[in-house]
Amino acid sequence: MNDIAERILATRSQVYSRPATPTEAKAAEEGGCGVTGFACTIPLAGRFIYEPSVQMQNRGNGKGGGIAAVGLTPEQMGVPREVLDDAYLLQIALLDPSCHAELERKFVLPDFDVVTSVRQPHVKDYRDVPGLEVCPPDVHRYVVRVKPDKLKKFAEESGLGGLSPRELEDEFVWRNSYRLNDEYYASLGEKRAFVLSHGRDLLVFKLVGYAEQNVEYYQLEDFKAHAWIAHQRYPTKGRVWHPGGAHPFVGLNEALVHNGDFANYYSVCEYLKQRNIRQQFLTDTEVSAQLFDLWDRVYKYPLEYIIEALAPTTELDFDQLPPEKQAVYRQIQATHIHASPDGPWFFIIARSQPDKKKIQLLGITDTAMLRPQVFALQDNGDVQIGLICSEKQAIDATLRSLAKEDMRFCPVADRYWNARGGSSTDGGAFVFTVGENGDGKKKMTCTDKFGREVKLNIGSVRCDNLSEEDEKAEAPQELKDKVDGWLRQGAPAGVDAIFQHAQGLPDWKAGDLKRFCRLIVDGATDAATIATAVEALTLLRDRRFYYGDKRRATVIRVFNIMLARLFDKAPLFGGPASGYWRRVNLATRDLLAAPAADEEVLVIDAEGFPPEGDGCDAVLMCKAHQLGWRRFIVYRLRGQRFHGAGLGLETGDVRIDLYGSNGDYTASGMDGLQLYIHGNAQDQVAQIAKSGKLAIYGDVGQTFMYGAKGGDVYVLGNAAGRPLINAVGHPRVVINGTCLDFLAESFMAGDPLAGGGFVVLNGMEMDGHGRLVTQATPYPGSNLFSLASGGAIYVRDPKRQVTERQLNGGVISPLTDKDWQLILPYLEENERLFGIRVQDLLTVDGAVKAPGEVYRKVSAVTLSVLAGSKKK
Amino acid sequence: MANANVLEGTPHEAGRSSWPQEKVERKVAPAPDRYRNAIGKYKIYRSAACNSCGRCVQVCKYGVHKKPKGYALTLRPEDHLCVGPACSEQGEMCVAACPQKALKIRLNPNADAMGDPRWTSDLIISNWYQAETGHTPPDYLQYRHGESGGGFDKIRFKFEVPGTGYTPPEPVPTEAIDTGLDLNRSGDGRPQVHIDIPLYGGGMSFGSVSIYTILAKARSAAAWNTFSCTGEGGYPDRLMPYDDHMITQVATGLFGVREDTIKRVRIVEFKYAQGAKPGLGGHLLGDKNTPEVARMRGAVPGNALFSPFPFHSVYSVEDHKKHLDWIKEVNPDCLVSVKVSTPTDVDMVAVGSYYAGAHIIHLDGSYGGTGAAPDIAKKNIAMPIEYGIPKVHKFLVAEGIRDKVTLIASGGIRTAYDAMKAIALGADGVVIGTAELVAVGCVRCACCESGRGCPRGIASTDTELAELMTLDWATQRLVNLQNAWHEQMLDILSRLGMKSVRELCGRSDLLCYLGTPGQTKTL
Repeated sequence: MNDIAERILATRSQVYSRPATPTEAKAAEEGGCGVTGFACTIPLAGRFIYEPSVQMQNRGNGKGGGIAAVGLTPEQMGVPREVLDDAYLLQIALLDPSCHAELERKFVLPDFDVVTSVRQPHVKDYRDVPGLEVCPPDVHRYVVRVKPDKLKKFAEESGLGGLSPRELEDEFVWRNSYRLNDEYYASLGEKRAFVLSHGRDLLVFKLVGYAEQNVEYYQLEDFKAHAWIAHQRYPTKGRVWHPGGAHPFVGLNEALVHNGDFANYYSVCEYLKQRNIRQQFLTDTEVSAQLFDLWDRVYKYPLEYIIEALAPTTELDFDQLPPEKQAVYRQIQATHIHASPDGPWFFIIARSQPDKKKIQLLGITDTAMLRPQVFALQDNGDVQIGLICSEKQAIDATLRSLAKEDMRFCPVADRYWNARGGSSTDGGAFVFTVGENGDGKKKMTCTDKFGREVKLNIGSVRCDNLSEEDEKAEAPQELKDKVDGWLRQGAPAGVDAIFQHAQGLPDWKAGDLKRFCRLIVDGATDAATIATAVEALTLLRDRRFYYGDKRRATVIRVFNIMLARLFDKAPLFGGPASGYWRRVNLATRDLLAAPAADEEVLVIDAEGFPPEGDGCDAVLMCKAHQLGWRRFIVYRLRGQRFHGAGLGLETGDVRIDLYGSNGDYTASGMDGLQLYIHGNAQDQVAQIAKSGKLAIYGDVGQTFMYGAKGGDVYVLGNAAGRPLINAVGHPRVVINGTCLDFLAESFMAGDPLAGGGFVVLNGMEMDGHGRLVTQATPYPGSNLFSLASGGAIYVRDPKRQVTERQLNGGVISPLTDKDWQLILPYLEENERLFGIRVQDLLTVDGAVKAPGEVYRKVSAVTLSVLAGSKKK
Repeated sequence: MANANVLEGTPHEAGRSSWPQEKVERKVAPAPDRYRNAIGKYKIYRSAACNSCGRCVQVCKYGVHKKPKGYALTLRPEDHLCVGPACSEQGEMCVAACPQKALKIRLNPNADAMGDPRWTSDLIISNWYQAETGHTPPDYLQYRHGESGGGFDKIRFKFEVPGTGYTPPEPVPTEAIDTGLDLNRSGDGRPQVHIDIPLYGGGMSFGSVSIYTILAKARSAAAWNTFSCTGEGGYPDRLMPYDDHMITQVATGLFGVREDTIKRVRIVEFKYAQGAKPGLGGHLLGDKNTPEVARMRGAVPGNALFSPFPFHSVYSVEDHKKHLDWIKEVNPDCLVSVKVSTPTDVDMVAVGSYYAGAHIIHLDGSYGGTGAAPDIAKKNIAMPIEYGIPKVHKFLVAEGIRDKVTLIASGGIRTAYDAMKAIALGADGVVIGTAELVAVGCVRCACCESGRGCPRGIASTDTELAELMTLDWATQRLVNLQNAWHEQMLDILSRLGMKSVRELCGRSDLLCYLGTPGQTKTL
């Protein structure tokens, strides 16, 4: 710590009106919550943060919601650009508006030159905002600079003359807000006012209610900012909540939202107290913001070190760091470990850096990755957007609402990924930075903790947005006849032919894809052609193949649109039936009836169904199952949960296909059924699964197959943290990507060669052009197969990168012929599902190798800690 | 499921099992100890001077001395039936009556060796008395409380203690008293579940205890129209005739948790933590993981089975809600119980669980028994249940949701008096565990976790050890115990002038705390 930092902290005693009291308990317990945020190269209206917040309402309980906007527009703020860059936006929540005049007299007018002073407009009567039960505070905003003479006096009195004028002014503003809160919020039993935010180019709103109600109540639907973050709170203590406890919390130029809970709140507070920093709102999130502000503004740590102090790099990951980094990190950990939040947490931070003409959006996960987190990036050429969220479906909701209004956006992101907490690979954090491009335009970069850029390797030609003329153009009659023929031909030959034809996509014109797909949709007219069309379009959507210069996200979008259009053709209950399939949606759910003799498929349009509860579409599916339906297609999913759960025993005759943003707990408890997830899957998938088949055409979230007993499961992409924990029996799983960490901990799946379970871990991925490539390492985590007593992991590891160090009890042994005979049928099915050829898996650096040279087996050994008395 | 209905030929009532349910009679019948030499409080020594005159047989009112017709010699005395020196107050006693002076009565050294201050030898023996006879024990046994010097042992109903200024109300005739509870108070449209007595059996997995123990608990629950719980080791098929009286547990190891087991019960219990060892999951030692247990759980025999702590899928209250939503989706007719230990913020945990949709909040305090927990954890981490209950009760009242949720307490409920004290402190009902095991012969030797488990064949899945008791016998013992407790509950409510056990909830004003002499405090 340098002298000036020490001086800043020491002189903060001047702020405190009374001696320090013992560290107080947290004011509220809050486990979870939902967090979301995005940053974009163009300013986006507040209504776009509304959509993902609504999507995650079930992650809050309506007892606290907040939003922050960063990177504002001068026009809407009513000040010139320079003022917006230079001045502080002192935004005050007036719980008791009658104290405003006094507050202004005490804390605003004496020290600040006020550029503007405005009351945030709001809906006249808060009861007009549906569901809002507590009147939100009046918000008053001052655009201010500290009076030069006051600043000079402050420098003299505090001995902080060594700070730059800006740093001095920052500290002044920070202290002024502390004092204000001390007098009007924290120190009073009666809470009258508090500072929402005071940074530059940054505003915070919070209330007792849901996050999106801020947008409605404060009429921010059209208020524009480059970055927005939102938080749904789920506090559980106390009958009366105050908006002061809601997120985001600010340091100075950053707003932080947080999903999770610290076990070491006390320790962190003590650490802060040693540095003369006191708490006013008594929540985990407040101290998180204080830590960030301390390390960033006072200690001036680079972002990388701040992230390291929050989420330390440990175990194997630490060893894999370069020695010079290890030296620095060791110091950081030794100094700040007591402030490292212990427990599940995920932060999203939005901050302005007006002096650098940048704004940033950060997501940081804890080392153990105990909270869900998804990152996404979309590059539309002239507009880029980065998103961070608790759930992928909320990201999709944001993009969907953007695309609806602005043609430049696509409802599908170009890339979705998870961070690996405290890792040597990405550091568990990603930063979206919106900066100047030089030509007056903004541009976005995305970097990990170490500053390495996330690059998108995607085509640039959009297939989704066509000109009106292009949209109307018809496909040639010759192609139409061909497609009709293929559809009549049926699977597999007809489907193959359609798929083969689509391989020409790199050479097609942008509009050709839509025209081709339309032919498939239009050609689906009877049971046979419908079945073929569904299979063909689904195959096109699921299978990664070379798109050439066509941008993948837009191709996927076209397939999604066309699939929805195809499913929309199924006749609704209440109207005339047409055989083969029947459709049910929210409006017609009460008309659901047993299948007629010629009806096979029930199509569920999930739009509008609640994600859980007795009225959710998964419950409707169970009812339909009882009525005799066995084949289900669910589409337009918007995060609805529990599909494939609740159908009961021995559902071998059931097949479910999910399209759209499916939700948590999909296939949990499945026994016999086949379930296909056409896209990424979420958390808690296939928990306690017993038997059946699950194919995931994408990545899968946390605690996948926790406590599973069986089932054949295929994952095209990666699994997040803790897959197959405590799995027993005979689950057989092929994961073509890798896992974040803790794969198959306490795996108890017997002897795989005698009917037990196993995981094949291929460690592969598809590049932007649909080509199969090897990941940097098949398993990056520090914990593989820990304390397992049965089952095996077959890992594709030709370079022998997995080491005994990653195991806690297991043993690595060569692959035997028997092992290969066991896993080969699963790899063949994997080939059938995903087109990942066994031969390609056996190919290393261009040469086909023997299975034993490519795959290795991790299996259980008898551990004394687990053994019975005889074995001791 | 629909098919099973057809088989049974009865309409399927919402929430009820579709499997044919066996009725178990709620009938008290003698169920003597299953060992030849039952352990009593006293031991009778008979010297060689005895000439089998039979005088002792004539004077004994308790059937200790026996000389069946046609026998030349008196049989070995059944001294566990002996009430000791107090006998002389009720008339002639064998020791005095013996013409040969051949009889001596002493405290039984075996009894002395049993128990500990919490589960005193008197409590164990009085529990056996109740299990054998089905009735309230005689006063020579201290059956109401233990001697631990704290907790329920220092709490009394005021009517038990002279000088508290308590005026007893007009007693209510016991026939007019209702001890039943409705467990669904949420008004959420899910089926009501009623139990006839304010207690049910705790979760013990197949693996931790034998199949007979599990079945006897289930059958007794069926007889008393209440519940027993599977624990987390799976749902043995043999329990299916008692589905309507089973709670199945979803615990952190998810052992044996399958969709069909969730669908077949009326209550699903989420075990987040255990009061005996908060911060630790279940633990089945390697030796007890016999091939049969391993088959049920799908695990590898001989390996210790740990359940993680906490749920890997639940790290927050919104995860918790999602978790509950999942089980509710799987079984749309079940009630959901959330079992938690008692950390210092247990009140917040309870409120959070209520808002997450739990019907029952089950607090497990620190005195609870478990074979496999490190000694350092037992009784040292969680809050004692007598603190936990009022803390949560008051908090729920203040939140205005007390009448929307059922609060169940466990962790050291040894006697009917403990149960009623817990209710007076604010619980709606209780869960018992160890008391049931004692009733089927547990001597509290605490060897549950070593080797193949229990020397008495209760907490063991060893095929030979488990055969040490029969199902009918064990069932009868438990039915008897419940009856004896029920008698005492009626007696207590009668004395308190209450017509229903629901009136007792939260009436801590009826209790007092025994401090040092002269410092008895009203709670």
